[in-house]
Amino acid sequence: MKIAKEAIVGTLESSDLLVKVAPNDSGILDIVIRSEVIKQFGKQIRRVIDQTLSKLEVSEGTIIVEDKGALEYAIRARVQSAVLRGAASEELNWEQLS
Amino acid sequence: MTEFDFSAVRPEDSPQDVEEVKALLAASQLQFDTEIEVLVLCRARDRLIACAGLDHNVIKCVAVAKDFRGKSLSLRLGSEIVHLAAGRERFHLFLYSPPHNRDLFQGWGFYPLVEVPDLVLLMENSPIAIKSYCDLLRLQKSPGNRIGSCVLNANPFTLGHLFLVERAAADCDWLHVFVVREDASVFAYEDRFALVAEGVKDISNLTLHQGSEYIISRATFPGYFLKEKATIDHSWAAIDLLLFRAYIGPALGITHRYVGTEPFDAITDNYNLDMKYWLQEAQSTKEPISVVELPRMAINSTPVSASAVRRLLTEGDFDSIKNLVPATTLDFLEMKYSTAAQSAEGAELK
Repeated sequence: MKIAKEAIVGTLESSDLLVKVAPNDSGILDIVIRSEVIKQFGKQIRRVIDQTLSKLEVSEGTIIVEDKGALEYAIRARVQSAVLRGAASEELNWEQLS
Repeated sequence: MTEFDFSAVRPEDSPQDVEEVKALLAASQLQFDTEIEVLVLCRARDRLIACAGLDHNVIKCVAVAKDFRGKSLSLRLGSEIVHLAAGRERFHLFLYSPPHNRDLFQGWGFYPLVEVPDLVLLMENSPIAIKSYCDLLRLQKSPGNRIGSCVLNANPFTLGHLFLVERAAADCDWLHVFVVREDASVFAYEDRFALVAEGVKDISNLTLHQGSEYIISRATFPGYFLKEKATIDHSWAAIDLLLFRAYIGPALGITHRYVGTEPFDAITDNYNLDMKYWLQEAQSTKEPISVVELPRMAINSTPVSASAVRRLLTEGDFDSIKNLVPATTLDFLEMKYSTAAQSAEGAELK
């Protein structure tokens, strides 16, 4: 699916994250992650985000993540909900999300 | 733990809150800005301890009381204002801050764009938006030693604009023309752009660009759209010009910027002076862009200006307008404003 409209989910508070999604003018999937714990957990955070996006079959959009040290399940939930809002899609396969 | 109580108010609805906000800002050496649509306020036991203002997609007037400074309150304030903006369908946000607060706002997910040293820093809430924009511009780069540029509001497009563009194009290997995108003028962006496109279509060494938030927009140059109210601050022009020098110019290899002399409008005349300073004189790691001021075209010793056309339009004086605009603009104005249309829409022209 494509990100068709802008959406923002989450907060900037400690142990949470803010996820911003937007349509991508160049037709690519662009993912930018900033985290307060990027040195220690950058790879894991990236993996969780990549997995979540690929489960949702996101192929196009700009995804910006401002992480404040969130746990994996929080990252997954925030990314899912941002993508679903931004995809403007009513169809939702809950099994894919688990 | 102290309870924080967040609320949003429109300044015009709540003069009392505004007084408190002014005091809070003053304690941080900041001034209240009259161009604010909505304020986020944070109170602790009824005392105002933090505030942030939103004007369209621009965050400004952010302050936190000294005894409440510490990361957590500021980050909540940041979340609140970002979501308030999102609720108003504004996602791409800009933020003005004193330069020393850079780190704080980076924690809000904002990234520095340009800084007027020691005075003001412009940030945006994307680490890649300006880069993506420049990447798209770069695709339209043309070869040459002398690459010119001009930025037109074209409200509406006159023979004066055409004269400027023709002279600049003749002077350069290639010319990039931008039309101010912000819909804050008498004529809609779509119409302004179409008239420019029609007017310059015979010039072969020219690229016409859509405007953007990074060129004379409400976000980067709010004062420009206030000029009829005669309220202006010089640092606004500096931000706009520094963006041009740091990002747009290098992306297209621009070496020169062309502008008409301004005999009528003091604000625009100051803008031309600022342009010379910030584009070519100010110390910067970015290459200077030379400013070329061309004398404004005059007809019967009267300089041609879009404001004159607007004035004549309110008087319905199409005979005089005919001398000041290309045929395409005249057709558009006649279609839109003559006879029947005039009574309905002419009244809105100021």
